[in-house]
Amino acid sequence: MNGTPLPEIRLRGLRKSFGERTALRGIDLAVAGPQIVGVVGPDGAGKTTLLRAVVGLLDIEADEASVLGHDLRGDVTELKSILGYVPQVFSLYRELTVNENLRVVGRLNRLDGRELEARARPLLERTGLAPFGERQTGALSGGMKQKLAIACALLSNPRLLVLDEPTAGVDVLARDEIWAILKERHREVLILISTSYLEEVEACDRLVYLDDGRAIATGTPGELRAHVPLELYRAWGDDPRAIARAARALPYVIGARATGTFARVEVSRDRTPGVERVLADLGALDGAPVALAESTPVDTESTLLALARGASAADAAQTQARG
Amino acid sequence: MSDPRPIIRAEGLTRKFGDFVAVDDLTLRVVPGAIFAFLGANGSGKSTTIRMLIGVLTPTAGEIEVDGIDVIRHPRRVRDHIGYMGQKVSLYQGLSLLENVEFYGGLYGVGKRDLSDRWGALAERLDLRSAENEHPGNLPAGVRQRAGLALSTLHRPRVLFLDEPTAGVDVHNRALFWELIQDEADTGVTVFVTTHFLEEADYCDWVCFIDSGRLTADAAPEELRRRFSTGYRLHLAAAPHAADSGEAAAAIARLGHALERSGLGVHYGEGGIDLTASALEPALLRTLGELQTNHPGVRVAVEQPQMTDVFRAMVSRSTG
Repeated sequence: MNGTPLPEIRLRGLRKSFGERTALRGIDLAVAGPQIVGVVGPDGAGKTTLLRAVVGLLDIEADEASVLGHDLRGDVTELKSILGYVPQVFSLYRELTVNENLRVVGRLNRLDGRELEARARPLLERTGLAPFGERQTGALSGGMKQKLAIACALLSNPRLLVLDEPTAGVDVLARDEIWAILKERHREVLILISTSYLEEVEACDRLVYLDDGRAIATGTPGELRAHVPLELYRAWGDDPRAIARAARALPYVIGARATGTFARVEVSRDRTPGVERVLADLGALDGAPVALAESTPVDTESTLLALARGASAADAAQTQARG
Repeated sequence: MSDPRPIIRAEGLTRKFGDFVAVDDLTLRVVPGAIFAFLGANGSGKSTTIRMLIGVLTPTAGEIEVDGIDVIRHPRRVRDHIGYMGQKVSLYQGLSLLENVEFYGGLYGVGKRDLSDRWGALAERLDLRSAENEHPGNLPAGVRQRAGLALSTLHRPRVLFLDEPTAGVDVHNRALFWELIQDEADTGVTVFVTTHFLEEADYCDWVCFIDSGRLTADAAPEELRRRFSTGYRLHLAAAPHAADSGEAAAAIARLGHALERSGLGVHYGEGGIDLTASALEPALLRTLGELQTNHPGVRVAVEQPQMTDVFRAMVSRSTG
């Protein structure tokens, strides 16, 4: 990598509208160096639009929009040739075989036969697709299709790899394989990825949380967890659903939900009466016996839910102020 | 799960496509009112099984009974008893949501007044009122999924088949969606659901796991934890600034010795004790709860085996 500049994205005030609808309302984002950056947020927040903008697929407006040293507002032909992109919708040729798809992508990247072979073979081995080289792509399982899409995106040895929900609908083993490939490369490649899986969100080096076309929080998963004004409790008992219902009646509880074995109870950090009191209150819930209550570190699930709540509360406050 | 009489029963269910055996001698029993998770890798035979259970694909061999109906002999008759929602919600793009409701209501033979009442209740509960006049293409994924759930339950089916209903849905809408599924189950509806978000298995009463068309696990989530994980870890410590921290620490040590005598793994450290247990038995939970009630300075931290890891262990054992 000597002499090669660090892969870098610098966005300031990135805006994108589709007709009347504003998808991105001024995104600021600065990331430099190889790492995995997770783009997270609710459905419709602008994640796909941001990723498509970064790979040069959209006409955008911005105060600054530099990706790998190329200005997104200018000619992005060369940029497109030096990055890898895996779109949300599977976009390879279903009627071609695995090998044929790799050859098509190799030709687009102007790789000669020998170079293509040298690059494709380890990718096929690594993704476990080698035995399926002659299989028609449309006949592959969901996980295999996604691995092929990633192999094709990596064929050009890109310094920036952009993946839009590459693991949606993919089983846990194929997800593990996909993430092993990403982790192998995250010291050389800047990886931008969107995902709905909590485990994958936690595996990112850094997160960008989008809501309604704005980046409302950025940081490591740990920084985001520390940033949300929440305490998290778990109340274990025979009937977690009754516990969750009863817990919602406590004045400082902002959310409670049952799993099979316990109720997750989220408490506002601004209104908490203190851990000891909360534990005592949970232990004495009306009509919902709690066997054991515990205070537990805020996790990614609560962090994302809190960010979503925070964003909608801010929207409501703004609307009220305007009204 | 042998008692009471199952609402879904499949015996020796097999489906071949040429030489390929997609589903291989599968036996399933689902009790009424259960949330039943049907899990497996891509291509393991999940969707083929569901298609047979709902009567749109004829098995090569085996028997299926859903809500007392022989599905193989009467595939059409079963459709009044079941609701189905796939990963890609089937809404007509050219119709508004409300027009879709009227269309589906007609297909299911729901009378006009009944449909209006039913939709009114569903729209309220699933927060769909504001989306009624929208066309499906304009709806965010989470709303579309909720609309799909509403449409699949318009005719009050007794069994709901949901094939990856939360794929591609954000964490907030997934949480909301599962509350709705639990509400449906509370009214007595049986829910048969597949998902790749394995933590969602914890919302279910029962989990079946299918691998290469064969059933490899059939148990409650806690039982799977017991069999396929290293178990729960619990850390007990006295809160440093609690008024009774000295007494709390002493009580924790006493409990540690007692639990050790009863055969539990206990490790003593400077900050408290660590326990390992294959399951969180009600008796252990109660003991810990009482300790906390008597000594408010006691803090218990429970580390529960993640369902995702349970599945990894399950798959590696079944393949290796």
